Amino acid sequence: MGAIIKLEDVSKLYGFGDATTLALDEASLTIEPNEFVAVMGPSGSGKSTLMNVIGLLDRPTHGQFLFNGRSVARLSQNQRAKIRRDTIGFIFQSYNLLPRLTVLENVALPLAYKGVSLAHRTKLASNMLERVGMGDREYFYPGQLSGGQVQCTAIARALVNDPKLIIADEPTGNLDSASSRLVMELLGDIHKTGNTILFVTHNPELTRYANRVVYMHDGGIVKDEQNVVGRVAKTAFKQMYTVPETTAEDDLAGVSALMKALPHKESSHGKAAVKPKKKSTPKAKKSKRGQK
Amino acid sequence: MTLRSTIRSNIKMALSSVKSNKWRSFLTMLGIIIGITSVVTVVSIGEGIKHQVNGQISQLGSDLITVRPGELVQRDSSGSINGVNFLQGSNSFGSLTQNDMNVVAKTKDVQQAVPLALVNGVVKVEGLKGSSPLVLATTSDLPKLLSQSIAGGSFFESDTSAEPYVAVIGANVAQKLFHQRMPLGSSFEFLGQQFFVQGVFNKFDTPPLSLSTDFNDTIFIPYTTAQMLTQNNTQLYEVLAKPTDPAQLGTVVKNISDSLTNEHQGQQKFTVLRQDEGLAVTNNVLDLLTRLIAGIAAISLLVGGISIMDVMLVSVAERMHEIGIRKALGATNRQILTQFLTEASVLSVLGGLIGVVVSLAIAFLIGSFSPLTPVVTWQIVLLATGVSLVVGIIFGTAPALKAARKDPIDALRNN
Repeated sequence: MGAIIKLEDVSKLYGFGDATTLALDEASLTIEPNEFVAVMGPSGSGKSTLMNVIGLLDRPTHGQFLFNGRSVARLSQNQRAKIRRDTIGFIFQSYNLLPRLTVLENVALPLAYKGVSLAHRTKLASNMLERVGMGDREYFYPGQLSGGQVQCTAIARALVNDPKLIIADEPTGNLDSASSRLVMELLGDIHKTGNTILFVTHNPELTRYANRVVYMHDGGIVKDEQNVVGRVAKTAFKQMYTVPETTAEDDLAGVSALMKALPHKESSHGKAAVKPKKKSTPKAKKSKRGQK
Repeated sequence: MTLRSTIRSNIKMALSSVKSNKWRSFLTMLGIIIGITSVVTVVSIGEGIKHQVNGQISQLGSDLITVRPGELVQRDSSGSINGVNFLQGSNSFGSLTQNDMNVVAKTKDVQQAVPLALVNGVVKVEGLKGSSPLVLATTSDLPKLLSQSIAGGSFFESDTSAEPYVAVIGANVAQKLFHQRMPLGSSFEFLGQQFFVQGVFNKFDTPPLSLSTDFNDTIFIPYTTAQMLTQNNTQLYEVLAKPTDPAQLGTVVKNISDSLTNEHQGQQKFTVLRQDEGLAVTNNVLDLLTRLIAGIAAISLLVGGISIMDVMLVSVAERMHEIGIRKALGATNRQILTQFLTEASVLSVLGGLIGVVVSLAIAFLIGSFSPLTPVVTWQIVLLATGVSLVVGIIFGTAPALKAARKDPIDALRNN
């Protein structure tokens, strides 16, 4: 089976003249089917831009991008929309559910754009909500749910079209640790059924769910390592970024503190170990970053 | 099927967005509501008048011929009306004479002819307020010619020399002048003579805005009496005639016209009208007025359309993030376009329907508080709905295009 994603020296520039920003700097990345890839890096390192380019929301300025072995450079807006609709599921940090639609309608929305009949898409959406454990909240509005529940709904929406690739841009960025674990375990289950998942995170702890971790800095991919699922990736653990000492500490201080507090840092941790530290300041710091 | 379900869910979505912004939606629709209300009301009033005119014609008999002074209409070579002179029609009394009346009466195939002469003078009666009623002099054949019955008393005989100062009055005159329904034997003073009311007409079914005088407001006196009082200087207001055979109506009209033209040395200073042509004249006036007012009302439709465009532009800007989400989920440009076009159309059609309901209410009110009964036809309701749909689509296009063409990533960033 060919690579699902193949980026070759992809660059993305924003702005003009002196205000030009290089969001992606000749990044190359190949993702095979059924990989569970975590993308890590400090704020402004180009993670989100990479996700947007891979998700066909944004076009690279330079370089080649093969999606499913096919160059997407010349696709029209509508062709891109159809690829997003049929093969990509998005999960956002800020959930991005439509507040005026019920949970069920939100999940059914991608099917509506596909042209599935109302009865059929309601059934599919309902099944999917059951699968993410939201079966009893179908007629709630997003405003009536907790952050974790909303993100589970968003995951159901991303999955409802049975996409090959799921792109999650900091899916746990706005969630507390219990909800984060819920969401990540859900993603892990989905991965086991054969989906390719690509997610961005600030939290090295979460790399334990991925089988591959990609590190970014200043728009480039600085390290790409395989990982054993269930263990925190080595580089993440060592906080080995090629960034100034202070920034790196800033970035990961909270997590380090959390990890130090855990008795068994590399085994699957128990609830009791996590809960006491839930309210520690670094959490707030992290979510502030996440909003970028 | 998929298209239908998309449209249905779009309409459902649009309705929920209208509901969630009730006040804003109402203000947006106000222009359309006012525009549709005024257009439908104006047209329904015009329609109501036409219906009444038609009713009158079927009552008077379609074979009635009217000869009027002045060149009221222009005809093309084949004899059909191609223009109406409103000013001329009301300004040229006096060009028809007793002689013309005789000519009409003697024309071939004319069964009977009745003159209607305007007699100038003031009607005096004790306790009269307001304007004096119109006095027309005519002959004894009038009720028969108009197929109008007398409610009480009798019409004057053909020879009134024994009792010249008698009058038959219209139903409204009875009320206004004498404050009773059947003032038989009452008297009034006119041109220095004491007239006695001999009969009262049943109510004439006169349409408003018609070119003919309202006979309900008229006092009829014998023609010979009028000639006597004015020293043979009566002005003929019109001559009414009937053909012996209703099938020969066209020929008779032409005969009358020819013999009168002959009498006037080739000058056409009169108009010979059939009842259906009288209707054409009335309709012509009505259509012109209706179109004029409807045109003015249509301006508020334009304003309504602009306010829909305005609100839709604001709505698109406000919901940029939503557009971004929808696009990320795979909505094509056309699907976004359809969504916002549907919303604009739902707003304007809803406004149109409210306008139709309001104008139905207005028509009902006019019908209950005035003699006129406006008629709201299903055609005008359909037209109003169609027009508001078109307004919605025209003015919704620009905002919908703006939404559809937005780059997904820009739209998503907009929060």
